[in-house]
Amino acid sequence: MLSSIIAYIPDWLVFFQAGIAFLLPVGANMLYNKLNAWGNTGRFPAAAAGRNAARKGKTALPVSQSPSPSASGTPFSGNYEADLQAIRSAIGGNSDVHFREFPLTKLHTKGTLIYVDGMQNDRLLNMRIMEYLMYEATSELLTSPLNALPAMPFSDLTEAADLPGFNKSVLFGHTGLLIDGLPGRLLIQYPDGGNRAVAEPVSEALLRGPRLGFTEVLSENTSMLRRQGFTDQLELRSIRLGNTMQKDVVIAYIKDIVNPDLLREVEKRVSTIDSDFLTESGYIEQLIEDNWLSPFQQLQNTERPDRVMSALLEGRVAILLDGTPFALIAPVTFSMLLQSPEDYYERWLPGSLLRMLRFAAAFLALMAPALYISFISFHPGLIPTELAISIIEARQGVPFPSIIEVLILEVSIEILREAGIRLPKPVGPAMGIVGGLIIGDAAVNAGIVSPFLVIVVAVTAISSFSIPMYSAGITLRLLRFAGMLFAAVLGMFGTILFFLLLCSHLTKLKSFGVPYLTPVSPFRLRDWKDLFFRAPLSLMKRRPAMLKTQNDRRKSKV
Amino acid sequence: MFTRTDDKITASQAAVFLNNSVLGAGILTLPRGVSEAVKTPDSWISILLSGVIVMLVILLMVKLSQQFPGETVFQYAGRISGKFIGGLLCLLLAIYFVVLAGFEIRSLAEVTLFFLLEGTPIWAVIVPFIWAGTYLVCGGINSIARVFQIILPISIVVLLISYGVSLRLFNIDNLRPVLSEGIVPVLRGLKPTVLVYTGCEVTMTLVAFMQHPRQAAKAMLAGIGLPLCLYLLTVVVVIGGLSINSAITSTWPTIDLIRSFEITGFFVERLEFPLMVIWLMQMFCNFCSFFFQASLGFSQILHLKLKPVIFVLVPLIFIASMVPKSVGDVFALGDAIGNMGIALFILIPLLHSGIWLLRKKGVKPSG
Repeated sequence: MLSSIIAYIPDWLVFFQAGIAFLLPVGANMLYNKLNAWGNTGRFPAAAAGRNAARKGKTALPVSQSPSPSASGTPFSGNYEADLQAIRSAIGGNSDVHFREFPLTKLHTKGTLIYVDGMQNDRLLNMRIMEYLMYEATSELLTSPLNALPAMPFSDLTEAADLPGFNKSVLFGHTGLLIDGLPGRLLIQYPDGGNRAVAEPVSEALLRGPRLGFTEVLSENTSMLRRQGFTDQLELRSIRLGNTMQKDVVIAYIKDIVNPDLLREVEKRVSTIDSDFLTESGYIEQLIEDNWLSPFQQLQNTERPDRVMSALLEGRVAILLDGTPFALIAPVTFSMLLQSPEDYYERWLPGSLLRMLRFAAAFLALMAPALYISFISFHPGLIPTELAISIIEARQGVPFPSIIEVLILEVSIEILREAGIRLPKPVGPAMGIVGGLIIGDAAVNAGIVSPFLVIVVAVTAISSFSIPMYSAGITLRLLRFAGMLFAAVLGMFGTILFFLLLCSHLTKLKSFGVPYLTPVSPFRLRDWKDLFFRAPLSLMKRRPAMLKTQNDRRKSKV
Repeated sequence: MFTRTDDKITASQAAVFLNNSVLGAGILTLPRGVSEAVKTPDSWISILLSGVIVMLVILLMVKLSQQFPGETVFQYAGRISGKFIGGLLCLLLAIYFVVLAGFEIRSLAEVTLFFLLEGTPIWAVIVPFIWAGTYLVCGGINSIARVFQIILPISIVVLLISYGVSLRLFNIDNLRPVLSEGIVPVLRGLKPTVLVYTGCEVTMTLVAFMQHPRQAAKAMLAGIGLPLCLYLLTVVVVIGGLSINSAITSTWPTIDLIRSFEITGFFVERLEFPLMVIWLMQMFCNFCSFFFQASLGFSQILHLKLKPVIFVLVPLIFIASMVPKSVGDVFALGDAIGNMGIALFILIPLLHSGIWLLRKKGVKPSG
């Protein structure tokens, strides 16, 4: 009895392997926790919740020490000459700042306009404002200081609170106005710098749908949102962010639809951003996302106002940043990355078909090379015999194992694609032809890769082009290489493991509290109308359940 | 609340969880196991009968668990039968789950080595699989249930297609005569068929995780009903297609059935490949379920945090999976697990329900 039990005790090698099996997950977990704690410093508090109290104390310090500009700014003295001198000494050194002193004839006093070259509508400034101030402004302007502001015929008029704020605004492009005898230091005229014209969004081209895309100017972008339709429920809230150079960020939502908890969460995360300068909305995206170690994006970026508006009407929140045409939409789910606005603009049958096509393309873009490797290197018996024979015949001269073969072609096609983005437009197609056709053909003739692989890689590349979100495409490209490695080590078994790991990761991932794979799991049948299949608009009576909106009816009669 | 902080699952998730804990190795081995015992084509009656028995068992477990809302068996067993006996039984249950997880992964490795990765060292199959499972199990019951929700529909579709296509080999004569030797062979088949439902013990912890424990009975019956149907279908299709004699002689009769015909003109000529894929995924579900139950058990009995327990269980499960020396040992272990399952069933839900009833009924009149 005892001896038979002893016979079943595995030998020491098994225990050694068990030790390794134990150490790797423990190590990976420790690394993950370390990385997470390290990367979450300076991010929103919820993400950093796992850190211990001591670390929290450390990170809280710089926030309290950082000087807040509004509190410590020097106020204006109220004396015309002294203020002018202060402004001159602060920003007068800039060659592009102009101080234009002029008499106010009817008032028998003088004033100064301060503005930056090229950031005003010169004609308006010269013809109208100067003319008004020099010849028309009457003494009533000065009699009562309370009356002064409303009496001035400017639509954009604010009174600067302190000197640094005034200087910043002038340098940002506002026109400053100082008048002797008037204590307030005024900012008239919004900046009107050089902008590009409104154009069709480049990264999200559609055949059918509005040709309007966001531009770099925040006020234009918000106006585009407003121009989507008549409503008094669209609310835009503005926050100024950035430590060294500040920028306006606008949070947009529909007041009577959005879930207040979601809105609060977004506002909390955005307002705790601690960064020098936000160059692009990608900065915001990376600073407020839930999991920075995930390969998947947790906010959607878009250039299309119509897309933002339909997301807002689903109960999502949009974040717009000055200086970039890319708005962010939160929360995002996996299926959104494979949807295009055109699905809704076309009729439902073609829309559904195209959407399913895109899901199939995403699967191919992710798995095709991995499947090729596992079939060719590990299980040629699983594919039909004739096909297997013809593939193996074609591969006869190839000196590499299939993983090297695939890597050669995949890496070169990724390089080709990266180069294609950088190249000027007239050169791009030429390079595509040289790279794609000639190199592919030559590689086959030279016997480095098999012609069948060229087909697989080409189909993969084309499939990944059909993904409507560029950043989602990059994620899939990245994961494709991981899948290839899994397949190279364990064949089909590895590919299945890769798929399971991916599923496990996606089910753990959340975007602003919404599970990334909703409505597949957690299962919400109501939202399946708009998943693989785009139901007719007449059936889309309610907003997505996953967003827990205040008001979930899309139609007046349900 | 917009962001969910509680780790609860819905009724449908619970049903899927139970289903994916039960549906697994049996798909490939059940037709042989049951035919060996029954020796007449009546094995499908055994499946039905044992399914009904298991349903009753599950109903009992649900009723017992519902007496202690929000508590798993590892927590309430001590309160019924005393700290020592209850703790001991729960420890037994947790060990049972570890052995079960090891068994699942070993049979997975055997199939993989036989059909997919010939010549690969066995640890190279087992270890990455355990790691992947660890990653999932660390996410808690919600992540596990969600992965199950993704995998289950794929499995069902592929299974139904494979069986549907294999109907061309189906011969009703292979299933006849019905009850030729009376009811005795059917009863002989009960034991091996009850074995395929091992894993239904997860019911005793699942109820605690349910958002609405009132729906537990319905959800759990649905969760066991689906594997019952699929197992019934498996046995009918395999025995109908292969006849009882070849089902007994082959190691993995279901794969043999699917391999025995070709669909010409299709990219995948033989459906054994998709079947293998979904079977592997289903085994992953099985494994993760038992892994989670075992770690939950140890952490609740010994009052430890869940995550360290999960990591400690990794090498234990690996060793458990390496103990059998051959395929024969694996099947013997499967039988042993079945016996252990029955013993545990008598010890835990039945005994505890009895004690619970005695206490409730017995104490009231006297006190």
